Amino acid sequence: MSDVSAPDGNLSIPSEPAARPRWLSAFAVVIFLLVVALLGVLGLRLIEANKTQPNHGPAPDFTLQIFDELGGGELRLSEQRGKVVVVNFWASWCGPCRVEAPDLQAVWEAYRDRGDVLIVGVDYVDNTADALAYIEEFGITYPNGPDLGTRISTAYRIQGVPETFVIGKDGNIFQFIFAGVTARELSNVIDRALAQ
Amino acid sequence: MLAELGIITTAVALLLAWYAVLASVWGAQSGSERWVYSARNAALLTWPLLTAACAAMIISQVNGDFHIEYVWATTERSSDIFFKLTALWGGQAGSLLFWSWVLSTFSAAALLWNWRSERRLMPYVIAFTMGTLGFFLILNVIIENPFTRLWQYPNGQVETALFQPAGAMPAIPRDGRGLNPLLRHPGMVFHPPTLYLGYVGMVIPWAFAMAALASGELSTHWIRATRRWILVAWLFLSLGLILGGRWAYDVLGWGGYWGWDPVENAALLPWLTGTAFLHSVMIQEKRGMLKVWNMALIILTYLLVILGTFSTRSGIVSSVHSFAQSPIGPPMFAFLAISALLSIGLWLYRWQRGELAAEHHLESWLSRESLFILNNLLFVAITVAVFWGSYAPIFTELFIGEKITLGPPYFNSVTAPLFAALYVLMGIAPLSAWGRTSSKRLGRAMLIPLLLTAALVILLVVFGMRNWMAILGYALVGFAGFVTLYEIWRGVKARAQRESWLMAAWKLFGRNRRRYGGYVIHLGVVVIGLGVIGSTVFQQETQRTLAEGEALTLGRYTMVYDRLTRAVAADGRVMTIAEVEVYDGNRLVATLRPRQDFFPNTEGMNTMTIAGSYSTLESDFYVLLVAWEEISQAGATFKVYLNPLVNLVWWGGIILIVGIMVAAWPEPDRLRAAREMSAAGATSLRV
Repeated sequence: MSDVSAPDGNLSIPSEPAARPRWLSAFAVVIFLLVVALLGVLGLRLIEANKTQPNHGPAPDFTLQIFDELGGGELRLSEQRGKVVVVNFWASWCGPCRVEAPDLQAVWEAYRDRGDVLIVGVDYVDNTADALAYIEEFGITYPNGPDLGTRISTAYRIQGVPETFVIGKDGNIFQFIFAGVTARELSNVIDRALAQ
Repeated sequence: MLAELGIITTAVALLLAWYAVLASVWGAQSGSERWVYSARNAALLTWPLLTAACAAMIISQVNGDFHIEYVWATTERSSDIFFKLTALWGGQAGSLLFWSWVLSTFSAAALLWNWRSERRLMPYVIAFTMGTLGFFLILNVIIENPFTRLWQYPNGQVETALFQPAGAMPAIPRDGRGLNPLLRHPGMVFHPPTLYLGYVGMVIPWAFAMAALASGELSTHWIRATRRWILVAWLFLSLGLILGGRWAYDVLGWGGYWGWDPVENAALLPWLTGTAFLHSVMIQEKRGMLKVWNMALIILTYLLVILGTFSTRSGIVSSVHSFAQSPIGPPMFAFLAISALLSIGLWLYRWQRGELAAEHHLESWLSRESLFILNNLLFVAITVAVFWGSYAPIFTELFIGEKITLGPPYFNSVTAPLFAALYVLMGIAPLSAWGRTSSKRLGRAMLIPLLLTAALVILLVVFGMRNWMAILGYALVGFAGFVTLYEIWRGVKARAQRESWLMAAWKLFGRNRRRYGGYVIHLGVVVIGLGVIGSTVFQQETQRTLAEGEALTLGRYTMVYDRLTRAVAADGRVMTIAEVEVYDGNRLVATLRPRQDFFPNTEGMNTMTIAGSYSTLESDFYVLLVAWEEISQAGATFKVYLNPLVNLVWWGGIILIVGIMVAAWPEPDRLRAAREMSAAGATSLRV
């Protein structure tokens, strides 16, 4: 399109092919670098998007606003060092969460008195009334609170609910459980974490 | 049994595709015809193999063979037969198989159709189509094989694998999980396949262009072969976009048909560059200009297709269309990078060697060439704007650490003036001549359309329209429409002295399919434009909570809330249905049932808001059920839209499709020969 010329109206000026066998002009280099840069950005984004739930290393810290009906107050993960902490993401609209809820409560009742095991429920994208009805329905007594602004679920990169992270006494993630849990499996993992 | 058939056929097709790449390149380099023929036969053979693989999948879906994981994940016993059939593209693995099949179909058709006419390009056409197919088959066979099956060990553990692992028995679930609820809609039958046909179809013109670049055979051959293929792809892509808009309008429940969602944009981007190419290619055919540019457009179109496929399926952009996270991201990215560097590298190479130099120069700014160039710049500007809008979150997150998402206001305000300018060009360009046009002649040709436009504006003002932006919009779109109608009328009139009007129109369209098909496409775009302006500028909406028996009024319509009912459908969805009566004045015109469907056993997006709509040519009265009183069932909240002229969007779409069919219909050989002769000699076809 740079060929805006020939004001005298010459009809056809066939230019001889292969007249300028220059391999790399500045323009070509710029275009090429631009393409490479674009690809680089997409590649970085892909790496970012492919990061999944952490299953080792320090557990991302968070502060959970406990539902008032369960006692209220705040719970900070980093203040629970020395305990095995089970972080369970759930929602009242989620079918598999309903299946595992009685098991979670059973595990809580079995370990509550030891003092070095804590179960924490993080309520993901839910409305408070539904969530409280759910808690009441299953008689849940361990601390639960909403994931305000989905900050906690983003930090743990969850892909859905239920998902459960078991965090060791040292504050590192001990195990990540992708699907629903049963009381037996969960006790098993907790026992191993305690023995660590 | 069927699963084995599918596994074997896709694997053999994969080997054949890569064999075809090697054999064709070797044949072209060494000048050995036998290798080229062998490559062609291998390429053709992928089609029956992949057809068999798709058939094996479809039969398994219909029969409910839940041993195959994909069948288990996308169908269930109670599904309708057509949801069982369409489940082929209802998930990642199956839709990739469908992608491969479509590409194989297009490639085989191109090889058979153009084998003799474009013989010198053919070895590389094989290489580039089969290279693309070979890549997608790698995904199909190795990474996301749709024929992966479920196996169970004696201890109860279930595993997925292609073949029976030692010590495991086939696991056959009693029922499947069923298709994602949002996909259970008649739109599912047509929207994805048409969009895929449009997307994949763009591979063929790219392969011809790349063949020209690779072989150095840069005469107009590749353009001639490409034109019809790109029209076919463009037809399906347009259809896919329109159907997608209609589906969103019916199901997604936001009152509109286009939300500038990143995935919608992914389909729009190649459409924009493809449309630009359809125009600029004429300049190369007629004047031998813009060779560098046309190559760039076709390469860009292809890369946007691959980029769109990559971003939709790898989860790098979030959207209503996002597939689940999947392992195909990294290989797709590698393919995108390789094809981008290879295409652009070859293009720069030929350009720098001066082999893409223009045969003519631009003579006058008032010529059809220069107006087409302007048209191309506008299309590319829209492409850049839409690209930036879709991918901005990625860039901003990377460079300023904050995700900035650009919404509809950005897109509307940036693209509206560019689209308006395109309508102006659509009015002027058909009246201008190749080479140069005198402004006097152009003015004379525009006189009648301009007068009609003035009359339209006066009418709008007389009927009470005071929104000057809308009046301007209608004037520009109307002008383009009047020019098109006027041009068609002039053509018909010239013939009608000898024969009847109907006969004259028939023959005129038959003899000049490209030009008059193009005019019909322009008319379709004009009608769509009228619909878009009407439904965006004059949309009215309101939201109210009504008790039973209460009414609300919007525009000329009154809506009375009757009652709320609950029902459970065969597939387990719980439907909450509101019945409302719509009155036009005192006359009952419709009973609507807006509803919300809830899928209790599904995670994530598990509700669907289905609008009730009373549709006339003038407007849609569109009702959404937003919320309701759970216990008393007394009150319900409705969001109600009055969408004027929205139906023109669909009607315009139909006109557009008809126009493309006219333009793409194969013409008899004698006509083509005559046209090519006249094109070779004449510089201007117009008066």
